[in-house]
Amino acid sequence: MKKTVTRRVFIASTLLAGTTLFLLPQGKTTPINIEPFKVLSAVQEVLFPKGLKAPSASEFGATAYLLNVSTHPSFWAEDLKFLTYGAELLIKEKSNFLSMTPKEQDEALRDFVNNNPKGKNWVSLLLFYTLEALFSDPIYGGNKNEVGWKWLNHNTGQPQPKKMWAEEIA
Amino acid sequence: MKYDVCIVGTGAGASGVAHTLTEAGLKVVMLERGGFLKEKDFSKDEIAYCKRDIVTPNLKESYHTIEALENGKWVKTPTYVTESSFFNGNIVGGSSNFMSGYFHRLKPVDFKLLSTYGAIKGANVVDWVIDYDELEPYFEKVERLVGVSGEVTPYKYHEPRSTKVFPYPPLEEHPISKRIDQSCKSLGFVAYKTPRAILSKPKDDRANCYYSNYCGSYPCASGAKGSARASLLQPAVKRGNLTIITHAFVKKLVEKNAKVTEAIYIDTQTKKEHGIKADIFVVAGQAVESCRLLLNSKSKNFPNGLANNSGQVGKNLLFSAGGVGSGQFDAKTMPLKELMVEGLFVNRSLCDWYEVEKMKGGIVDFLFEHANPISKASKQRWEGDKLLWGEELQDKIFHKFTATKQLNFEVFNDWLPTDNCFVSVDEKYKDVYGVPVANIRIGAHPHDLKVAKLLAKKAKKVLEEMGAKNIRSSMSSYPPANLQAGGCRFGDNPKTSVLNRHCQAHEVSNLFVSDGSFMPTGGSVTYTWTIYANSFRVGDYIVENKKKWIS
Repeated sequence: MKKTVTRRVFIASTLLAGTTLFLLPQGKTTPINIEPFKVLSAVQEVLFPKGLKAPSASEFGATAYLLNVSTHPSFWAEDLKFLTYGAELLIKEKSNFLSMTPKEQDEALRDFVNNNPKGKNWVSLLLFYTLEALFSDPIYGGNKNEVGWKWLNHNTGQPQPKKMWAEEIA
Repeated sequence: MKYDVCIVGTGAGASGVAHTLTEAGLKVVMLERGGFLKEKDFSKDEIAYCKRDIVTPNLKESYHTIEALENGKWVKTPTYVTESSFFNGNIVGGSSNFMSGYFHRLKPVDFKLLSTYGAIKGANVVDWVIDYDELEPYFEKVERLVGVSGEVTPYKYHEPRSTKVFPYPPLEEHPISKRIDQSCKSLGFVAYKTPRAILSKPKDDRANCYYSNYCGSYPCASGAKGSARASLLQPAVKRGNLTIITHAFVKKLVEKNAKVTEAIYIDTQTKKEHGIKADIFVVAGQAVESCRLLLNSKSKNFPNGLANNSGQVGKNLLFSAGGVGSGQFDAKTMPLKELMVEGLFVNRSLCDWYEVEKMKGGIVDFLFEHANPISKASKQRWEGDKLLWGEELQDKIFHKFTATKQLNFEVFNDWLPTDNCFVSVDEKYKDVYGVPVANIRIGAHPHDLKVAKLLAKKAKKVLEEMGAKNIRSSMSSYPPANLQAGGCRFGDNPKTSVLNRHCQAHEVSNLFVSDGSFMPTGGSVTYTWTIYANSFRVGDYIVENKKKWIS
């Protein structure tokens, strides 16, 4: 089934490459701060690293997905706040997290989770949305080329969505 | 413009009335809170249909408060705090779009709970004012019009049928169904073949089931599932006489001289208020929301809400008691090639304990864990208290998806009506339109859990016999949000019931309630078949007596 990458997903993915940037989603007045998303992106890469059997977070578009869905009104505002808060907390405790090697990042994250109940809830929440990115329909910006489904030989239900958010097809 | 009949809601309880009235030539308008999505719009999008509030109101727009007993006190918590919605599908066709369609009729004993088993302390059990025989022709009508597929399995408590066979043959079954049959045989249980409101053969504009493997919780893209929309409303719209107004949230019914004159609704897209005039009004917004509408429709004649001078509106709300259980299967119990077959149905139930230890019992339905990969994978991220990621998590997910399959069971038994399960409204909690939301007190009778546990034991025996691993069950007193009934009991006494035997309000002669609200006791099966059947019955009554209201 043919699908097009939406403009918003495209913008979100491009912005990730930059430094501190602000994204103004459609119909929203508060910009999303991209800086925490850099931290979230690094942590997602620890949760799904390169070199294992499953695709890595960057390969399946974990952060692009999160940027896309978190701007929709159906996204839980409290979750977005907590994701941002946790990213700040992690950097407070592990200030050089972003410049660590993957192995060091993994250790730092395990340490963060073990010594901080809030840290554990935060990683659990981020992992939840990372798994959404891995197994949702590619129309939302994750599961690029259906790599998540292919990894598990999972046959998705037909028909696949032609539009996000169950919108009416004209 | 004045209509003959205005129906609030478009789900199963609304559609039987709408179908019957439009067929008789009455001019009908239906008010639906959500949009009109059809087969062409539907997909198997786990995010939209299972993970977000898209086909239900955003909880910032509207919500419920759940009133639960905490340390001896009843405490109200809004669902936007618990993040658990009690709305169940607000699009044309209502929650019937998303049902799994496990279809069971009520049994004759369900109409006579009090006279058969006697009173239970703390429960408001009564007999119904109609019996099974009165509803049977309508159960049969549902089989034909909504479309029920299956094969009759004789067993001790089987209800009488006016026809021998189901109009549609059984759906294709998964190899595990035979395993259930064998295990039941050696245990001396009857493996009951579950009828489904899913077409195995095409009907009119509806195609047959295409075994998508994404059925329960998803709308059906072929029209095979017997949703109110696919089976009754789309054909009625095509015939003419039926107008469906979408994005219409009905906030109030206006009353004058003990008659409803107008339904006031807010267009949720333009936020503008409109009124609809009609001779007859039918409320069918699912039990909780129907009660809320009546309670919020206050007037001089009805200071406590429309048709509520008895104080009975909202009372004796019912859910379905029971819970869920599961067992794991892998290559050791069954060849993997057979086990991993996708899309085909299990369609087996246990109904041998509709009566158990001289109490009213219930049923057990078997089904595979839903295919939903997000939901399945995210459950794997915890190992006890430990959060997994990296290789450990990947290995666990890979094993779960490629080497195992989980067979679940669901227990359904009576949710006894009590004084601690009801709908009320509270000026302190309002939606974005300034209308008080429904508060749901969710107290349950301890008897419900006792019966549920007896039934779960039988189900677990079947799983053991089949060689399942990690057999678990969790029976709970927490209400399943999608199985609602009661709140506007029908009965002969206006002091103890809201509706008469025709589901017409005792106090308001042109007002009917045709969803599951009328049920004084719930029975031990899912409600949909009964709600459809009763909706057709109410429709027939209105048509036969239309001259009373329509000039």
